[in-house]
Amino acid sequence: MPLLRSLRGALALALLLTQGAVATAQETVKIGVITDHVASAKFYAEPVTRGVELGAKMINQNGGVLGKKIELIIEDDQNKPDVSAAKARKLVDDGVVAIISNTGSPATQQAQTVSLETKTLHLTPANSADTLTTQLDDPYFFQTGPLASIQLATLMAYTKSRGFKDVAIVRDNSSLSQSFADSFRKGLEKVGIKVALQEVIPQGATSAVANLQKVRAAKVDAILQAGVLGPEMLQFFRAYQQLGMTEPVLGSYNLSIPAYLTMAKDLMDGVVFVDAFDADKPEAKAFTEAYGKEYHEQPSSLPAYGWDGIHLIAQAIEKAGSLDKEKLRAAMASTTNYVGAIGAKGTSWGFRDGKRTGFDPQGAVVRVIKDNQHGPVVFAGQN
Amino acid sequence: MRLLRDALIWFAAIAAASALAFWLGGYATDVYRKMLIWVALALSYNFLFGIAGQVAFSHFAFAGVGAYAIVIFAHQLGLPFGLAFILALALSAALAFVVALPSTRLEGFYLALATLAFSQLVLVVISEGGDLTGGTGGIANYRLPHVFDVTISGPWYTVVLVLLVASTLWMLRRLDRSAFGRACRAIRDNAVAAAAMGIDVRRIKVLAFTLTSTLAGLAGIAYAYIDNVINPPVFGLENIFLLLFMIIVGGAGSHIGAIIGAVFLYLAPFVLEPIVGHGFMVVFGVLVVLTILFQPSGLAGLVNRWPARRAT
Repeated sequence: MPLLRSLRGALALALLLTQGAVATAQETVKIGVITDHVASAKFYAEPVTRGVELGAKMINQNGGVLGKKIELIIEDDQNKPDVSAAKARKLVDDGVVAIISNTGSPATQQAQTVSLETKTLHLTPANSADTLTTQLDDPYFFQTGPLASIQLATLMAYTKSRGFKDVAIVRDNSSLSQSFADSFRKGLEKVGIKVALQEVIPQGATSAVANLQKVRAAKVDAILQAGVLGPEMLQFFRAYQQLGMTEPVLGSYNLSIPAYLTMAKDLMDGVVFVDAFDADKPEAKAFTEAYGKEYHEQPSSLPAYGWDGIHLIAQAIEKAGSLDKEKLRAAMASTTNYVGAIGAKGTSWGFRDGKRTGFDPQGAVVRVIKDNQHGPVVFAGQN
Repeated sequence: MRLLRDALIWFAAIAAASALAFWLGGYATDVYRKMLIWVALALSYNFLFGIAGQVAFSHFAFAGVGAYAIVIFAHQLGLPFGLAFILALALSAALAFVVALPSTRLEGFYLALATLAFSQLVLVVISEGGDLTGGTGGIANYRLPHVFDVTISGPWYTVVLVLLVASTLWMLRRLDRSAFGRACRAIRDNAVAAAAMGIDVRRIKVLAFTLTSTLAGLAGIAYAYIDNVINPPVFGLENIFLLLFMIIVGGAGSHIGAIIGAVFLYLAPFVLEPIVGHGFMVVFGVLVVLTILFQPSGLAGLVNRWPARRAT
């Protein structure tokens, strides 16, 4: 019998812990956040989540939404799609009115099955996969991050504007990098630029000098960096400096992750990359100021995605005038001309014509790295 | 009498595990379902690694083959579900057999490398399969079709998963206690001595690999309908190492150990995160190391010791 009692106690404790059945007496508007603190998406998920937290704090300081404070419930999905769906269910069980997904696109895709089933407003402010709103007809899911295709078009437009004729693509052997490289190749061919060669730096490589010697021998006008793995990318920039190369380096939006600036310190000056943040824009300045006051440092573009995401949800709640799930969905779907911290000057978001991707096609920018910082915008849009 | 007692125990266990499905909330049900898939995979991997002694890293790849095959056959190509199910299982078995033929000539480290390469290949194929596999985004927007005019959904699908685990356990226990199981253990302990005793070492190895990998394919088929989404990261290399840890922590070669290891390691992050916050993976790692250091026969060793202690 004592064993039975112990077992019952243990079961009750386990259920309490797994279901997170902690009741709060406060009258708050609960918003769920799915992030990654421990796995491969940590480098971008954490800064984006920081922006959500800062945004919620600012909104609460200004009176909250519908007269109530926002309460964030943050869950870690370890960037695992199956865990992400489970965490989305936990958030719904906890009574959230909306979910913000900040981890990888496959994880967000799987979490969508829960938002669709439970009719819960679901937003990803930073995911860029083009398929997130096309694979599943989930009217409760919205995407405001710049689509990969938009970023690619902006990078290609910049490449063309510089008059490059022959370029090299350098990548690592991860599937994501291969996917970036394929997109680059197709995009370049579309605008009439020849890919003279493609070099692959394998995972675990201790030097990329041989790869870049081949690139130098090909006498290309520019190098498109399609790598995503930190150590291999570091080898690329080391070899580039060692060989004294001068060919311009153009990178994907992956280079907007601030961790690379410290990882490849003093090696990336002059590198251009696609981003969606113009620090000179008034909305971006307001965000930068709030971030600086709170964290005493300059933000990268990543927290701005989260900042915009939580503000967009707050606006939808105010517009809906209630926490009714259908009204919230309708309010979000009716968003037009929203100007946030993210996006090029003069662009805005909106879910026009029933679309659930809100980023303006002219909203991506090309920035240059200067003094180990993400520097000014050198190109914007696709023209 | 013993047969009746065993049948009653099985029935009670299946009934209790199924009853949970009707009692748990949304989140707990989701975690429970995915845990059952891990248990099914751990059971078959335990037979391959712990009983047959094959250090193969292709188990999750075969789960991926099963999951992608059922979705492609039943939903992309529109075949009747029954036919799609048989084809998906047959594809898993055929691929496992093809991989087993050359791979089982290898041992230890070399077998691990060969099967690791196969896993990587499967990952590349599903990531680069275009519209057929959905690429890196995977496939969504499908539902489990009606089977004999019956829709299996909600807690009833959890019951299906319970039956999957129960039938996997029942079959592997029967095999373990048969001449085939004894041959597997003999080969694991000393392949040369086993061959000298007249055991066809290669045949047994190929059979063990094919059978357990097909069971992984079956678990993959079941997984495909939990969230109605499949994508490459789930079948990546990270999970195969977690599966290996489950077997080692639970107790290699023990069916109950595979279950305990899978339940313990799958649930640990979910239970630890609310208690220790972001550092839950550190605590998780320390727990695994402590278990390996102080309980080398695995957690199953504790369970085995318990009745002995009570008897004394």
